[in-house]
Amino acid sequence: MNGAALAFKGVMATGVLVSALVILLPLSELFVQTSLQGMVDALKDPQVLDSLKVSFSAAGLAAACSFVMGTPFAYLLARSSFPGKKLAEGIVDLPIMIPHPVIGIAILVASSPHCWFGRLLQQAGIEVMGTLTGITAVMLFVGLPFYVNTVKNGFEAVPERLEKVARSLGAPVHSVFFRVTLPLAWRSILVGLIMCMARALSEFGAVVIVAYHPMIAPVLIFDRFTAYGMRFAMPVAVLLIMVSLGLFVLLRLLNRPLRVGA
Amino acid sequence: MCRHLVFRMASRQIAAGLQGACMVLLAAVMLVLTAISSSGWCNGPAGRLIIFHAGSLSVPFSQMERQFEALHPEVDIQREAGGSTKMARMISELGKPADIMAAADYLVIDENLIPEKASWNVRFATNRLVLCYTERSRYADQINSGNWFEILARDDVAWGHSDPNLDPCGYRSLMVMQLAEKYYKRPGLYQRLIEGRPVRNVRPKSVELIAMLRTGHLDYAWEYLSVAVQHGLKYLELPDEINLGNPNYDDLYAQARVRVTGKRPGTWIERRGRSCVYGITMIDGAPNREAALAFLEYLFDPEGGLKILAANGQPPIVPCRVSSQEVLHRVPETLRKWVAVDR
Repeated sequence: MNGAALAFKGVMATGVLVSALVILLPLSELFVQTSLQGMVDALKDPQVLDSLKVSFSAAGLAAACSFVMGTPFAYLLARSSFPGKKLAEGIVDLPIMIPHPVIGIAILVASSPHCWFGRLLQQAGIEVMGTLTGITAVMLFVGLPFYVNTVKNGFEAVPERLEKVARSLGAPVHSVFFRVTLPLAWRSILVGLIMCMARALSEFGAVVIVAYHPMIAPVLIFDRFTAYGMRFAMPVAVLLIMVSLGLFVLLRLLNRPLRVGA
Repeated sequence: MCRHLVFRMASRQIAAGLQGACMVLLAAVMLVLTAISSSGWCNGPAGRLIIFHAGSLSVPFSQMERQFEALHPEVDIQREAGGSTKMARMISELGKPADIMAAADYLVIDENLIPEKASWNVRFATNRLVLCYTERSRYADQINSGNWFEILARDDVAWGHSDPNLDPCGYRSLMVMQLAEKYYKRPGLYQRLIEGRPVRNVRPKSVELIAMLRTGHLDYAWEYLSVAVQHGLKYLELPDEINLGNPNYDDLYAQARVRVTGKRPGTWIERRGRSCVYGITMIDGAPNREAALAFLEYLFDPEGGLKILAANGQPPIVPCRVSSQEVLHRVPETLRKWVAVDR
């Protein structure tokens, strides 16, 4: 191997090492410095368990809503081209770019009884501020782009000619979707759901404005950090990290490339 | 020919060398200049000044920041606001660096910061609780000091207060309602009111309630008079016997008791009712002592900071007070001329 190739490989390896360190060092320090007693106390604390329950139920609901709303949207973006398609794709990506407190404020203003939409919600008996509904709405807002983009890629990976063949053999459009496209793209849908859920679980800045109570796990961590100090916040943080890690390991396992002929 | 080439190469090298030397010299001069300016060779306070303060002081303190920075352009004030208890704990439990701490309840400083992080406490302003609302709040046209407790108890009225565990305005709001029960002779009023207030209407910082009022998510909120004035909200004044604004009624106020969380989850402190008195201190070992002292001198001046407080609807204590001669001795010398001892 000549010097240039060696240097190149060295730079690549250094890049990998440094990136891994940037991510792993703070997290590992958090784990190392959290006492076991603190972890046990956190697991027994009803407030901690409640916050995890709220986090997961809201994130799960948000993922379910993403599935219902996002799948048709993703299919449309994958298969058809229409004027304004670029705009539609931009709109889907918008929540990623907006600062999180701004998202919270926007949802608060839209749901306010002074706004026509808020009045509609009020008449329907739907409360947004300080409720699970509000938290789910925020999580849906931030998680939907992740779902739609992942599933869109999944649908695009399904060769269109397979669908056309099915159509030519007489299958109606909806039958093609459920019997050809979906079975081949289900993996990306699952990955999309997990990504949406993971993003929803970690959201803080937007949720804390819409609903401080009921407390999701990140809000509880922040509340404990500011009220009692790090010792009481770290165990909850570690718990949340372990769950998020678990989700992502699952994601990677599911994302393995399809075996030929599977 | 050869000689010309060599000569040209040589002159180019000399020019390059001179250029390099000039840049190094320039860099050195700039380095020295920045070192001078940041080290305070220029006389007077300079650098970053970190002030932690109660949320209710945000508006007057931001005006003071502008005025003070105009007087001392070398100083950069960085403020952080929040429930006073929370801010004090950030200093005492988290060790966050700060030069000055201003609390909405001077007891917060006594209990959380003295003696480990501070050694004196100056009382500089007062306040009182009012019930805030907007013209779009439900029953806004009917509410008065004789029927407010009935209106708050109605099912279709949403009202809130700040978190008693993190913000003095929170436990003070609860105290007002306890005192109201006795004053208006309505036994069970406090319990009924609290039961009708869902936990989602409780926010960590009292100023957050204003956003709730403006967007219509809340009809009424318990706030300080100064905050109501500063934000242009409508407010209902309550009798002195219950509004925690008159120090002469301290014995009456002491009848109110509220339990708040202590320094660890699962521990509790009992707070007794007292008139709203704001306290301020300089943290021991403050990173920028010189600028902190300059700011406090400006604040304690009746024509300086205290005037801005008064203009913002928050009655200052003129002159500022300490509780005893002993505490006065611990106040830095340059500030003593602005401070008097109680009674």
